[in-house]
Amino acid sequence: MRILVAAKLSLDAGQLKFDSSGHPLIDACPRRMGDADKCAVEEAVRAKEKLGAETVVVTIGGSAEHARIIRDAYAMGIDKGYIVRINEPETLSLPTVARIIAEIYRRTGPYDLVFLGVGSNDTHSSMLAPMLSSMLDIPLLPSIDKLDVKNDGVEGIATMEDGSYTFRARFPAVISITSEANEPRIPTLRAILKSKRIPIQEVSPEDLGVNVERIRLENVERFILPRRRILMEAGDQSQIEEAVGKLLEALRSEGVI
Amino acid sequence: MDFQFSEDEIRFRDSVREFAERYIAPRWVEIDEKGKIPLDLIKRMGDQGLFAIPIPEEYGGMGGTMLMAAIAVEEIAYHDPAVATAVYVLLNNGWPFALYLHGSEDAKNEVLPKVASGDAFFGIASTEPQGGSDVAGIRTVARKKGDKWLISGEKSFISGVRELMELPVGGGFFLVAKTEKAEWGHRNITDFVVLPKWNGKLKEGFNPTIYDEIGRHGISTGGFTLEEFEVDDKFRIGEENKGFYYVLEGFNIARTLVAAATIGSARWALDKAVEWLRERRLFQGRPLASFQGISFKFAELYAELEAAKYFVYKAAWMIDKVYIEKDPTYKPKDLNVPVSLAKLKGPETATRIYEEVLKWHGALGYTKECNLYRGWLGTFSYTIGAEGAQNIMRYIIARDVIGSEYVRG
Repeated sequence: MRILVAAKLSLDAGQLKFDSSGHPLIDACPRRMGDADKCAVEEAVRAKEKLGAETVVVTIGGSAEHARIIRDAYAMGIDKGYIVRINEPETLSLPTVARIIAEIYRRTGPYDLVFLGVGSNDTHSSMLAPMLSSMLDIPLLPSIDKLDVKNDGVEGIATMEDGSYTFRARFPAVISITSEANEPRIPTLRAILKSKRIPIQEVSPEDLGVNVERIRLENVERFILPRRRILMEAGDQSQIEEAVGKLLEALRSEGVI
Repeated sequence: MDFQFSEDEIRFRDSVREFAERYIAPRWVEIDEKGKIPLDLIKRMGDQGLFAIPIPEEYGGMGGTMLMAAIAVEEIAYHDPAVATAVYVLLNNGWPFALYLHGSEDAKNEVLPKVASGDAFFGIASTEPQGGSDVAGIRTVARKKGDKWLISGEKSFISGVRELMELPVGGGFFLVAKTEKAEWGHRNITDFVVLPKWNGKLKEGFNPTIYDEIGRHGISTGGFTLEEFEVDDKFRIGEENKGFYYVLEGFNIARTLVAAATIGSARWALDKAVEWLRERRLFQGRPLASFQGISFKFAELYAELEAAKYFVYKAAWMIDKVYIEKDPTYKPKDLNVPVSLAKLKGPETATRIYEEVLKWHGALGYTKECNLYRGWLGTFSYTIGAEGAQNIMRYIIARDVIGSEYVRG
């Protein structure tokens, strides 16, 4: 079995600070592998431990921090890594990102499974996995919280607002993993030191024959959801119905429902 | 000169931070309340490779450095500011390393892998009821009988006495004893690996007691008597009658890690202070930070902590130069001043920080609801002693800088 995992260097949103006018201080924010991507790496390593597999990670970008993502994945147990060297990867259009990963899949494959985090810590479009599955014309298991990789296929459960969905597919398949899927292992010092000795393969979008499209980020602002506190009194059981009625009325008048 | 940690050190620090956030921070108050680090946490720390960090992999260690051990201890103390967990970790890095430096191959192969995995404890047993810093004055005696040693005496204020009894394999100490006669002096001291419980079996001749301390409850402090406790000659550490020098080398290592624990705890206290000084408002809504009586004091404490941190990192870096890189430019005695600076400034800075931060919290700071007191009591214990009293640090600095012939008078 061979498994490809895509991981993105994204903002550590928990450490994002804002200036006094509400603008996010993006340059000062530390970056790391996204939470869901880390869970995707963990699922790949678990599948390897269960069934035996060669696991491969790919990331896009040119900085030392991008190389660190590959080494962090190695320290978790991934066997091989590709770094697609390109400047300012945050300005790549999503179809470009999908095409790059699709070309890695085609040129370094065959693969039985492709794992991605359901969304990154910063942009979180959740569109990459569906786009990739469509480009590769292989099944998609989206937003998987619980995964079972078997010898002949894969089964995943996704928890949606209206209930749980079970998806089953034969290989090959694309699977997007949520940050609730598992508790990713924390690399040990031995694994960290060993990860340095594993080579990283470097390729460029040109090597992959991908035409690069960029988007221009116009502005990023802090979005604060305005809050209003509405108190409905219900001193005893008989008043609850009346209070619920008032609450619904208030929510309707605010355009919430 | 480079003030950056290497990428390996940063990645290791991040991994320890993540571990401590996930597994230690949620339990540190419970650890202090119940007076015990849960055995499952000790095992988990072993699985994570937090013990025997600077020891080579061939002895079960992690193949890291003393600077990495200091980084780990600092991060763990940040997440258990009462410092019990950090002290447990530092003991099981510092003293196994001292054994690695001077122990026999048999002793190292027997003990180090089990300490590294977290199944056994390995600390220091030097202090006796009549004193701790006066190592030359110890009275425990080791008498040779064939290829065995019979050790008798009493040790007190020893960390880890209860833990070694509870761990599945057990554990023991780097124990300092007088060879043959208990006469004052440093030329008749020999060190031994003493394992009161090993491979699950408690040996005869070991009689422990546990003390009730005022803080840092998670790790036990106790004492024990040894009555003709039998030790194989393979567990003698280094040459006979040179134990004084080996244990001083061990103290230099452990003092550095003790200082790392205190600065980690103090960093937590100052982070708490930053939150409080921003949020707490009074006198018509002014943040507490707007009062210079407080913010200037904060700045002073911040400066002291930064200084203490660099003392710790430099001491650990020099230990690596001496023992891991084996750089001939540096000798073990060169460690005396840098290590003493770290151990002098770390604990004293930490307790000063706690005293101020606690006062900034007003009456709330004096309640048990506000956990600052746990860090205060925990770090305070290291202004008293542990690997040498603070006045010993002052003495070493004065002796080595002014000159031994002047300081001794």
